[in-house]
Amino acid sequence: MSGRFSAAIDYTLALAVLLFAWWLATGPMGLPTYLLPSPLRTWNALVTIALTGELWRHLGFTLQNIVLGLILGCIAGIAIAYVMTRFPKLAVWLDGPLVILQTAPKIALAPLFIVWFGFGVLSKIVLIFSLVFFPVFVGAVAGFRALDPKMKDLSKLLGLSSIQRFRQIELPAAMPEIFVGLKIGAVQALVGAVLAEWMSGKVGLGYLMTFASATYKTPLLFAAVLMTVVLGLLLHVALTILERRLLSWKGAARG
Amino acid sequence: MSQSERMIDIAGVHKTFVADHGTVTALEPVSITIKEGEFISIVGPSGCGKSTLLRLISGLDQASGGSIKLDVSGRKRPVGFVFQEPVLLPWKTIIDNVRFPLDTSGISRGQGDKTALDLIKMVGLAGFEKALPRQLSGGMRQRAAIARALSDDPPILLMDEPFSAVDLLTRDNLNDELLRIWQSTGKTILLVTHSVEEAAYLADRVMVMTARPGKLKCVHNVELLRPRGEETKLDPAYHALVAQLRRDLRTPAGEAH
Repeated sequence: MSGRFSAAIDYTLALAVLLFAWWLATGPMGLPTYLLPSPLRTWNALVTIALTGELWRHLGFTLQNIVLGLILGCIAGIAIAYVMTRFPKLAVWLDGPLVILQTAPKIALAPLFIVWFGFGVLSKIVLIFSLVFFPVFVGAVAGFRALDPKMKDLSKLLGLSSIQRFRQIELPAAMPEIFVGLKIGAVQALVGAVLAEWMSGKVGLGYLMTFASATYKTPLLFAAVLMTVVLGLLLHVALTILERRLLSWKGAARG
Repeated sequence: MSQSERMIDIAGVHKTFVADHGTVTALEPVSITIKEGEFISIVGPSGCGKSTLLRLISGLDQASGGSIKLDVSGRKRPVGFVFQEPVLLPWKTIIDNVRFPLDTSGISRGQGDKTALDLIKMVGLAGFEKALPRQLSGGMRQRAAIARALSDDPPILLMDEPFSAVDLLTRDNLNDELLRIWQSTGKTILLVTHSVEEAAYLADRVMVMTARPGKLKCVHNVELLRPRGEETKLDPAYHALVAQLRRDLRTPAGEAH
């Protein structure tokens, strides 16, 4: 508990120093607003769009895409990993195509996704999905393959159905590895969401950034950037809470 | 209570499997009939097929030939199995682990909890129901594994070197508790072990197996009085049996193990 408290103080101090340096650069050192707006101007820009409701529309859109992409990517990653470990023959078939897809830089495929899936929400979710899928998939394969053979004996002795076996034994046993993938995937998801919005559409934090920079509204640009940082932190916190709940049985091992 | 004379009927069961360099005989034909409520120890060196025999009886592996009949009148899970390691589900508490076989066969939670609590008390883990496996010692985890194996009340309990990973003192205690559990439940128990002392101390009959190829060399009746305890270990008959088992296990003509 006291460790957590001192960590909170450390974080606050670091943040304060950062803010002070920011203020120092804009105030006393006199950097122009179009290069670096002051903390106060940025804050004002943020409050303005928050009050008009514009902020929530953009934030909500981006968040919704990330959450959908994460959920779909996780389900598909876990499902395909499971099918491949259950049917090794299938794994031989799928290995090649999957390696090619995995090594292909998904960001470079983004324009293609827009051509295929349009300017709307679908192409964005597809991009996020493709970024989340692989880390989760790789983690899940590792997790399913690492299953203690004695656990297989146990499920055979108890005559568990496939569903019981998956839900009660295989999925929880693979959860630590799946989470490693999910955490990487979540960072990627945010990058993918913002990038997709840069490229097309009229809503989202990424769009807000391109709009602000195109119209030289640097304080607004800063506000949008700050919100993506906050979004990233929120995602991190949410995943950490989920991890503590699902993996508390792992005990002290914590990064 | 009428007891089955042929609880486990093993006739000419053998096991071979195909390896890179040809077929390997894991177990030469074995025949033995085990009565209900008997305590059988199986002792032998590594590679004598004793674990193989247990896996064949449990149905985990299929025999290459011969037959195994269990007089269990069509139960879905005729045997409880205790592995060398506890094989508990690390994300479940002790009570959830013990109740797991009941949960997965559609027994109501309330009924399952009652059975699990009784068993946890019987194996001496009262007060640790809500603990996670990693919070317990090796011996306590193995107790939980025994409780789980007994939870859906199988007539037969198969134990594959269950106490080989715990220290000697704990092992002695667990042996005594196992005898107490056996006496109060009337299960038919087959216990595989490396230790001739353990085999002689626990069993009604000791099956001696030798390696390469794995085969049943002989079966000894153990005439030591029940209930057994520290005095049994001072009994000259016990020492004579242990010495005999050692002689049986010694491979002929100084062949290296």
